[in-house]
Amino acid sequence: MTDSHLTRRALLRYGAYGAGAAALAGTAASWDRLTGADIPGRDDGSLVVATLGPAYGPEAIRTLREGFAELHPDIKLRINAVQAVDWSDFFAKILTQVAAGTAPDLVYVATEGVQLFAQRLGVALDKWVKRDAAELKEYFTDVHPSLVESMMYEGSLYQLPVEFNAADMYFNRQVLRRAGADFPPADWTRDDFTALLRDMKRSGGSRFTPYFWTNRLWGGVVPWLFANDTNLLAESKAPGGDWLWNGFYPTAQRKGRGGGFRWTTPQASHDRVEEVYDYLASLIQDGLCTRPEGGNGQNLIGVFSTGRVGVTPAGGFWAGGLHLAGMERDGFDVQYFPRWRTQRMQYGAAGYALLRTSTMQDEAWEFIKYAARKDTLERLFATNQTTPARRSLLTAGRYAKTGPAHWPVFYDTLDRFPDTGPIPAPPQVAEVEQVLLKHTGTALASARSVRPALRRMQGDLEKAMERDV
Amino acid sequence: MTNTRIPPARAERPAVRAAPAPQGPSARDRGTRLLATLFLTPTIVGIVIFTVVPIVGSVILSLFHWNVIDSPSYAGLSNYGEVFGDETVLVSFRNTLVFMVFAVALQLLVALALALTINGRMPVWLRSVFRSAFFFPLVLSAASISVVMKYLFNQDFGVINWALGFVGIAPVPWLTSENAAMATVVLVYVWQQFGFSFLLFVGGLNNIPKEIHEAAALDGATGLRKHLTVTLPLLSPTLLVASVVGIINALQVFEQPYVLTNGGPGDSTRTVVMVIYETAFEQLRFGEASAVGVLLFVLIMAVTALQFRLSRRFVHYQ
Repeated sequence: MTDSHLTRRALLRYGAYGAGAAALAGTAASWDRLTGADIPGRDDGSLVVATLGPAYGPEAIRTLREGFAELHPDIKLRINAVQAVDWSDFFAKILTQVAAGTAPDLVYVATEGVQLFAQRLGVALDKWVKRDAAELKEYFTDVHPSLVESMMYEGSLYQLPVEFNAADMYFNRQVLRRAGADFPPADWTRDDFTALLRDMKRSGGSRFTPYFWTNRLWGGVVPWLFANDTNLLAESKAPGGDWLWNGFYPTAQRKGRGGGFRWTTPQASHDRVEEVYDYLASLIQDGLCTRPEGGNGQNLIGVFSTGRVGVTPAGGFWAGGLHLAGMERDGFDVQYFPRWRTQRMQYGAAGYALLRTSTMQDEAWEFIKYAARKDTLERLFATNQTTPARRSLLTAGRYAKTGPAHWPVFYDTLDRFPDTGPIPAPPQVAEVEQVLLKHTGTALASARSVRPALRRMQGDLEKAMERDV
Repeated sequence: MTNTRIPPARAERPAVRAAPAPQGPSARDRGTRLLATLFLTPTIVGIVIFTVVPIVGSVILSLFHWNVIDSPSYAGLSNYGEVFGDETVLVSFRNTLVFMVFAVALQLLVALALALTINGRMPVWLRSVFRSAFFFPLVLSAASISVVMKYLFNQDFGVINWALGFVGIAPVPWLTSENAAMATVVLVYVWQQFGFSFLLFVGGLNNIPKEIHEAAALDGATGLRKHLTVTLPLLSPTLLVASVVGIINALQVFEQPYVLTNGGPGDSTRTVVMVIYETAFEQLRFGEASAVGVLLFVLIMAVTALQFRLSRRFVHYQ
């Protein structure tokens, strides 16, 4: 028979264990622990602004914060730079914060997310814009109506654009000289473009590819679709918006404007879309163009600045990017995208969206106005990492150090081609973009793969557009 | 006349001892159990919070439609219906299985070959150098490695095609051809991951007693035959561990295809975890993403169970 009783020694030992555990637990409980409340600005009445991290460095954030504090010392501001590889990654992180109940008050949103945020999370700025119309007159006078229209959704304005980038064509000057080619004129055509690529190829050697582009929504296949007078999705304008156009823009500039863009029926299987893919596939087959890779073009700066690429689509952001990469101001230049059936250009713009969940909407509006001020943007975009939405900021002085020589192209894109518009970005943009990238990769494998890939793209786009976000 | 042994008479047989009456655990046993429970509690709590709860949460979420913004709405099994009807999901499962087969097989082969080579006659200091070198990629971030590899494998400007050009080989579309992209992703993955299996094999080889190899040598076994008949059977427990861990990791591959090819060209390198990420965080369909996650969980459990079942036949313990 076993003794089921604890010995005195065992009892003492377990008593000691218990006492030790209790002491540890007590000590742990008494420590100051980090909680969500310890995050600076969390629940302390701060106005929280989420920006795309890589676009806004520490210097820019300090500029924003200090300038706003001078104007509004009574409003605490916290800028949360969210690190993300691209806009869709950034939106995913913001939505995660929304799901966690820690949504910011304001989010920096590009065209890719304007309609998604407007439809599901955003607050229309109409009442504040109407209220502060006198104060905003100067802003709207300085900003092209096309950019403003791209920030509208179903008749209401959801953001004040502060920056944009059109897909222009960049040239490596050294490559142009090597090919004995002249800098193309503003009205150059798709055939001129092809001929230029052939000249570059002849003089470039086997390790040289004349044309490089990245497979993405902005600057990928879409500018070619625009140039061929078509689009991935049928485009129209929502009604409304008269309150804004009549209030801020002269008759000539408000002609044809509406309440924002609508992107509806997919048209990937249209003849003109197929034409574009056939053309790009032929460039690849002839060795004039790289097979497009996914990504954000980060690897492009290196190959362009070292002359292994001659031409590529990029926006005003590259003036600063190439300068940082060590290119001299006369080492590169920029021209409009070539004409095909039209010379309509595409762009993406960005500004701050106010979230419905914000309890500080009036304060948030003050920040939106502050962020769109001329002096703010002047300081914020001093390094030419983007194209400011304000026309008056594009001066010879701004581009004296970085280049390019034809810097007026950046803003004149909007003036010269009034039908220039934003990339197609309905609320279902994430899935639309994924479908586009996926099938573009397949379509350009060979000339024969274009049609079947576009048929599949059409089917997938139809499914994507049927889904409610 | 045969000499048959007569069994002893029943009475002469030694009496079978009656089994002792069952007794409760001794005080010492109880103390040990209590102590063990005490030490295991933090781990168990951690597993419950960080593994069991998310799994249960995913299963529950897979029965709802939820887009983060609105409240979840009950969907029953319709998410599973959507998933099975989605060609991208089915392709991603196929890709993941193909990836798993090639990645794990190559990883184990490379690791075993290198472990056998290093375990041969080699100075100790050199062994340490190789061990560190082979293990090094494993401690690096998969995403960082993939970014670098993306540059190396670039068709037009990559160092690899540049080097191949010297020996007259035309540029290979490593990441932009449907046929080559998966192979490239497998290569990058194996390059990073084989160090883990390699270390396991080195440890396993060191545990095989020298006497057994010496006995095999006396019996005339040399080279490959010795490895096939002696080393591999004795290394089979290690092989089991390496393959189980390898398969579980390979079925959850994400970073390499995401960074290198973003699932393309087409869907040729899209994996299940990529689909889960895209469906949830880009397309805001958390219910469907959870359904895919549950299916992946079931797949991993089934494959692992099958491995352990097969291990009874193929794994030999000394």
